[in-house]
Amino acid sequence: MNGEYTEYNPIDRFEHVDTDVSAVVEDTNLPRRLKTRVYKTIEDRDGVSIEHANDIAQAVESQYIDTRVDPLDPVGTVSAQSIGEPGTQMTMNTFHYAGVAEIDVTQGLPRLIELVDARKEPDTPMMTVHLDGEHATEREKAHEVVWKIEATRILALGDVSTNVADMAVQVDLNPETLEERWPTADSVEEVAEEIATTIEGQLGVDTIRKETVIQFGPEEPSYRDLLQLVEELREIVFKGIEEVSRVVIRKEELEDGNEEFVLYTEGSAFGDAIGIEGVDASRTTCNNIHEIFSNLGVEAARNAIINETMNTLEEQGLDDVNIRHLMLVADIMTNRGVIESIGRHGISGSKESVLARAAFEVTVSHLLDAAIHGEIDDLNGVTENVIVGKPIKLGTGDVDLRMGSHTGGGAAD
Amino acid sequence: MVDVTQHELVPEHTILEDDELEDVLAEYDIKRTDLPKIKRADPALPNEAEVGDVIEVVRDSRTTDTAVVYRLVVE
Repeated sequence: MNGEYTEYNPIDRFEHVDTDVSAVVEDTNLPRRLKTRVYKTIEDRDGVSIEHANDIAQAVESQYIDTRVDPLDPVGTVSAQSIGEPGTQMTMNTFHYAGVAEIDVTQGLPRLIELVDARKEPDTPMMTVHLDGEHATEREKAHEVVWKIEATRILALGDVSTNVADMAVQVDLNPETLEERWPTADSVEEVAEEIATTIEGQLGVDTIRKETVIQFGPEEPSYRDLLQLVEELREIVFKGIEEVSRVVIRKEELEDGNEEFVLYTEGSAFGDAIGIEGVDASRTTCNNIHEIFSNLGVEAARNAIINETMNTLEEQGLDDVNIRHLMLVADIMTNRGVIESIGRHGISGSKESVLARAAFEVTVSHLLDAAIHGEIDDLNGVTENVIVGKPIKLGTGDVDLRMGSHTGGGAAD
Repeated sequence: MVDVTQHELVPEHTILEDDELEDVLAEYDIKRTDLPKIKRADPALPNEAEVGDVIEVVRDSRTTDTAVVYRLVVE
């Protein structure tokens, strides 16, 4: 039995495991975790014959050894090539998201670069908002959620005109639009009052309201102030999330044959969206990995990176890239508990070796900095050994073979 | 507030007991600080997790049923 685990006694722990069975299992090359699972399987079957136990142990061991990465296999290099080669076949720039009406999303190579660079904001942020309960099945209820998400500005609600003679801005609200966008309000009057209050609060002016017409002007008669007020008025968000400029509603079929409404948004504010009533906070996602990270944590960010990179490749018909390569990329990017980019500001820039960093980008400044600070390169990595012309410590490069000048006795002759 | 642990992107996070931790470190033959990290402020962490704890994460894996990984809580 393995020395480190002398305390571990399967015969005591498992009722149906006897000395012979445990000897067979312990004889395999499996890690402790998998040996325990073999015991559990045997236990679940209320014990098995010794031949049977041997079959199980052998099968598990051969599967384990088969799927294991070989020692000293350069998995990172293989991943880089496996993602890089299909990358050369990707379009330089494509827009238009397949299937979703009129929402443009960055795709192809620019999107892949954006992901591995861990940009703070994607070029075209978007959210996929799933709904729960009756919001997902009834169109009216789904629209209620739409109006809570899509930013409503004044131009969507009515006409804005400036009266230079009276030095006044006049907003003529459209009652039907108000009814549509505030479905839960009691009356149009109430909504118009709410809008007038918002204008007063945001612009610091007094408003006069007559039914759905709101009028206000600058304190002192000034043409410039008047235009300034109109500018500011256009920016006010009366309802919804400021970042979301547009929402598209779609009916989608679920796996179980039912249909539900799903919202696609242009612009994203993930934290705000999952707090809205009617939004299913367990399935809603966005394409900004930093928003996922700050709201759901590093493990969710890792999942999001894998999903987003894989989807980007799949959209381009490059779905034969093995998912393990993308998992490795995501693992490295989230290894320190935060999202780090691949590249000189992230992983490659934080490498220990001066030569490895200099080989990546901005060679001269790295070498200069290293010289100023008197850095030492221990030549442990791959890149630096390639540079100085030594064998790299990977694969056969890390195995020393020595041929003796004499045999250890008993040599055939 | 929204319960982030219910989100489908968030795998299960549990604090690892000390004796289990020893087995894990022995199996991989590593030190605790060699593990991947997770920030104390991470929203998916259990509330009682403290800096220095090791978290067991049970992921739904794309290549197998579930994959168990470990992260050390930092800062």
